[in-house]
Amino acid sequence: MLKLKNVEECFYPKTLEEAIAILREKGDKAKVVGGGLHLTVFPNPQVEYFIFLDNLGLNYIREENGTVSIGATVTINNAAKSDLIKGLFSGNLSSALSLIASELLRNQITFGGSVAQREPYSDISTILLALDAEVVYFDGSEHTEKIDEFFETDFRAKLKDAIIKEVRFKKFDSSYKFGMERHVRNATDITLLNMAMLAQIEENKIKDIIVSYGSRPMPAIRFKALEDFLKGKDLNEAVKEVYNFAKENADVKGDIRRDEQYRRELTGVFAKRLLESFGR
Amino acid sequence: MKVHYKINGKDYEFDIHPGKVLLDVLRENGFTEVKGNCYMGTCGACTVLINGTPKTSCTVLAAQINGAEITTVKGLGDILNPHPLQKAFVEKGAVQCGYCTPGTILAAYALLKENPNPTDEDIKKAIDGNLCRCTGYVQQVEAIKYAITLLKEGK
Repeated sequence: MLKLKNVEECFYPKTLEEAIAILREKGDKAKVVGGGLHLTVFPNPQVEYFIFLDNLGLNYIREENGTVSIGATVTINNAAKSDLIKGLFSGNLSSALSLIASELLRNQITFGGSVAQREPYSDISTILLALDAEVVYFDGSEHTEKIDEFFETDFRAKLKDAIIKEVRFKKFDSSYKFGMERHVRNATDITLLNMAMLAQIEENKIKDIIVSYGSRPMPAIRFKALEDFLKGKDLNEAVKEVYNFAKENADVKGDIRRDEQYRRELTGVFAKRLLESFGR
Repeated sequence: MKVHYKINGKDYEFDIHPGKVLLDVLRENGFTEVKGNCYMGTCGACTVLINGTPKTSCTVLAAQINGAEITTVKGLGDILNPHPLQKAFVEKGAVQCGYCTPGTILAAYALLKENPNPTDEDIKKAIDGNLCRCTGYVQQVEAIKYAITLLKEGK
């Protein structure tokens, strides 16, 4: 089954500069390929050129100066199974990653591709928002933007002329807790609602917190009203109050898979579950 | 365009359309043990090992993995010299219609390479992308556990 029948040529650049030059020359007819999953599942018949990122040295996971960097071509499984990621948040980040999609797709889905596509059901987007991650992209020079700000801009227009190089986030100390909840109809289905939470708990108080949720069914965003509501609260009090607040203030809608009320209910349940897990 | 692969230990060169997925390139060149079905990466029937990693060949661009080592189920063993996983799948009734079997065995093989002593949970996670509509998975998990025993006994 030839879905991409108009493809004429493949490029294997060895530097980001070379990749950008090809992208600029070929314009909309070129497609930057990380793992290639999105392209093969949702083929764009207009594509005539592939620009493969495999030879750019972007397959790294490293920690430098208190920052964790994940290269654009790193797959979900590369990250989930790395000792560095396993060592964060008592293994909770690795566990969250290892439940996305299926084992076979976790071997193909890349961080760069996930950010570039920003699918509404993406679990990676939700996780990176909760981690207050930054996106590093290259358009001839390197740019770094907070991921929530990056998503608020017309990032797809930016990426017509740029390539995502990596995502990075702070290596949080042990006072920070991270967790993720997802609702799926079966183990490998797309997510119908997800929520990730990063909280700094000191003396049983929520000193700082980030909450993100996605597949609402709209793309992932931060739940800033809930963050403001929870910040500074005693954790036990927060657990008692969070369900109602999250449920009432959630920005969710219904779609063919789940109605609005169901997603609203889930938002409350997820928020409560995550906070409860931080108290254990 | 020309691509080179090492498939089941032998070198091959194919002249392919650059938009093709690996599944089609393999099947068109005689590797029909790789089963095609969904073309969306959701069923796992077309699983092969690419440089040792199990992936759905229906979602992998053939041009992207030029130079790769590919293993199909025939690369593990054949009817005369079956791999312990292949033996175990037959003996434990994990093969019914058989369509998912090549992919599931390859996913299990990759797991055991990485983790020779997996828990039931590890096994289930490793084959979570390989859908089976016959066995209900119970026999497959049992077969993989039996294969671990066979491997330890050197059979």
